[in-house]
Amino acid sequence: MSTATTGMSTARRNKTGSKRRNGGATGSEKGKQRQRWLPWAFLAPTILGMGLFTLLPIVASVLLAFFRWDIISAPSFVGFDNFAEVVQDPTVRVSFVNTIMFVVVAVALQLGLALGLAIMVQEKLPAWLRVFFRSAFFFPLILSAASVSIFMRYLFNEQFGVVNWLLSLVGIPAVPWLTTPAGSAAVVILVYVWQNFGFSFLLFIGGLASIPTETYEAASIDGATGWRKHVHVTLPLLSPTTLVASVMAIINALQVFDQPYVLTRGGPGDATRTAVMVIFESAFQRLEFGQASAIGVILTLIIMAITAAQFRLSKRFVFYQ
Amino acid sequence: MAGSNGTLREISRRTALGALGAGIVGATVASWPRLSGIDIPGRGDNSLSIAILGTAADAAARQRVIDAFTKVHPEIKVKVQAIQAADWKDFFTKILTMVAAGTPPDVVYVATEGAQLFAEKLAHPLDDYLRRDAADMKEYFADVHPSLVEAFMYKGSLFQLPIDWNAANIYYNTSALQQAGLERPADNWTQVDFRNTLAAMRKARPQDFTPYYWTNRLFGGVVPWLYANGTSFLKESKSTGGEWLWDTFYGQDPSRGLRSGGYQWLESNADDPLVYESFDYLRGLVKDGLGVRPEEGGGNSLVGLFASNRIGMTPAGGYWVEGLHTAGMKEDGFDVQFFPRWRTQRHQFGTAGYAIMKTAKDKDAAWEWLKFASSLEAMRLVFPTPNTTPARRSMVNEQLYAGRGPKHWKVFYDTLDKFPTTGPIPAPPQQAAVETALMKNVSLAVSGDENQLKQALASMQRDLEIALRRQA
Repeated sequence: MSTATTGMSTARRNKTGSKRRNGGATGSEKGKQRQRWLPWAFLAPTILGMGLFTLLPIVASVLLAFFRWDIISAPSFVGFDNFAEVVQDPTVRVSFVNTIMFVVVAVALQLGLALGLAIMVQEKLPAWLRVFFRSAFFFPLILSAASVSIFMRYLFNEQFGVVNWLLSLVGIPAVPWLTTPAGSAAVVILVYVWQNFGFSFLLFIGGLASIPTETYEAASIDGATGWRKHVHVTLPLLSPTTLVASVMAIINALQVFDQPYVLTRGGPGDATRTAVMVIFESAFQRLEFGQASAIGVILTLIIMAITAAQFRLSKRFVFYQ
Repeated sequence: MAGSNGTLREISRRTALGALGAGIVGATVASWPRLSGIDIPGRGDNSLSIAILGTAADAAARQRVIDAFTKVHPEIKVKVQAIQAADWKDFFTKILTMVAAGTPPDVVYVATEGAQLFAEKLAHPLDDYLRRDAADMKEYFADVHPSLVEAFMYKGSLFQLPIDWNAANIYYNTSALQQAGLERPADNWTQVDFRNTLAAMRKARPQDFTPYYWTNRLFGGVVPWLYANGTSFLKESKSTGGEWLWDTFYGQDPSRGLRSGGYQWLESNADDPLVYESFDYLRGLVKDGLGVRPEEGGGNSLVGLFASNRIGMTPAGGYWVEGLHTAGMKEDGFDVQFFPRWRTQRHQFGTAGYAIMKTAKDKDAAWEWLKFASSLEAMRLVFPTPNTTPARRSMVNEQLYAGRGPKHWKVFYDTLDKFPTTGPIPAPPQQAAVETALMKNVSLAVSGDENQLKQALASMQRDLEIALRRQA
């Protein structure tokens, strides 16, 4: 009896235990399942937003590149015709060459100016002035590029602009800033760099602040002074910052639109016409949305290729502490 | 109890989450129609929606016309939608975007620049309405010059009724002219007289003064010079048709024989020697410091500069008068004259009027709006000041220009009467591409040497050929 009773109670215990274990395992699995889904639930709005407003337009844009569509009539499939026409279009070709030239000059100026000013502000100025200049140099970036360009257009007017008036005070004749290829390219670059160097400047300020003072002290002990310290200490240790700043500056510069559009409308001729301007003109002025998408796809591929090349090269030139 | 409580709590949480999710989905589905443009005020209530280029203030300024229209047609609700845009090209782009979004307006105020684009793709011809209401419309056409009407003919049909217009006349600063020791130019002055006038102005005021300021635009840029020289950058032809309209409304007009089924611009003409000659003339003005290198799309600061006596002459239309008055220029501080004569004295003009969209919900209501908007009553309400030239001859009178000038305001409408071949801005359905092709080459053409001019015109010819090949 007792054995049977013991056996029964053991069996009951086992059953109960098994029940509990099963019940416990089920609860834990549900918890795990919930834990697995919870992050997705939180991410869902972002994913949905990115999907709807970023991914979907990208996919649609790539698909559109294979269609002819004027937004009035129904789109018609044209295969690679848009790409073929775009490649043969001299205006598109010139605009890409202009964009690359612009990137080379503007990014070099932007980074050079930002780095020079960052070193000057960080090293030469008292703390209270540093705060002022950090804000002052960043300020143009928060202004509307279109508003700045309209204002600059007045400043650089050949007949009545302030810039030529100032030049006339020192005997320099009026410069046709916005009506000659060289003048207009110079103004577009100048305005763009003035407005955008502030971001690179802030990145460099951050980078400079992260360089340990001991490194400079060690360099001084080794006999390095003045610019040699910057060449042999600052620049190598800033290389990660420089990589980030240059990647961002190049991607931004490849998409330049506001300044040339407002200042020169791409002229004179095609002197300041850029790739994004041609996308805008194709889509919203000529209603060739397929061709505009094709140019957009090509520009995206170029941006991706340049960025990839930068990261590949960074393995050689970027020094991480 | 504890167990049952736990179960209840678990079910309750699930239920709550489920209900929340279902609620979000349900609300989204239920409110989905509200996410469409139909729910923008005025769109879903069967109002006649009218799109104009301008600001909310411009829309408000039309309220008196809407009120007057509503008195006549209480059954038609009207909403005016002002669309801000940098220029007409930008405005048309925005209208096309509305069309693509499935929320097109019923009626659009369209200028010459877009007349053929709309006629080709978007607008509904007015022919049947005009035939039906010919008796009502005779008074309107009797008051409007046929050149303006012809600008809205396309392939034999009329698509718009001209409401306002402007020709490229020459505005001159009277004090600059006096300082140069010159009298008002003659009506038939030539391009040589024009240049001599500029040279005299320059001599009298060598500093801080520009004798001839012009901008690189489709209206008032290089085109008036091309027209005056008997050419254009596009080959101009006319289509057949429309006889019924001319016979019905302009049978007795002396220029009846000139009228057609509408303008056509099918080929590029930048390689015409007369085009070269015209550009070379302008290049000479720039080279000799008599005229500016034109900035593309410039002109925003022009009123201020002219009103401050720093510009001698500039091409502009009647729309400038109110601007100069507002800028403080006295009525005798400026005056207007016809564009100089070259091989011809053909002028360039632009006009604007309402077009009924093919997609309009109620075309009959839209036509009633067009008819009313072209009436003397409505146009008097819309144009109390000379910020444009009304299409009706009877409104271009001393009263309109009183206290504002110019002294020779009659020049505005006389341009059409004295030079009946005066033509519209060349704007085929591919206008945006054509305009870009023209404007991008003008600055280079007039800024360098002869070689640069030849290269710029060759480039213009090529760009125009590409532009005209494109679908509208």
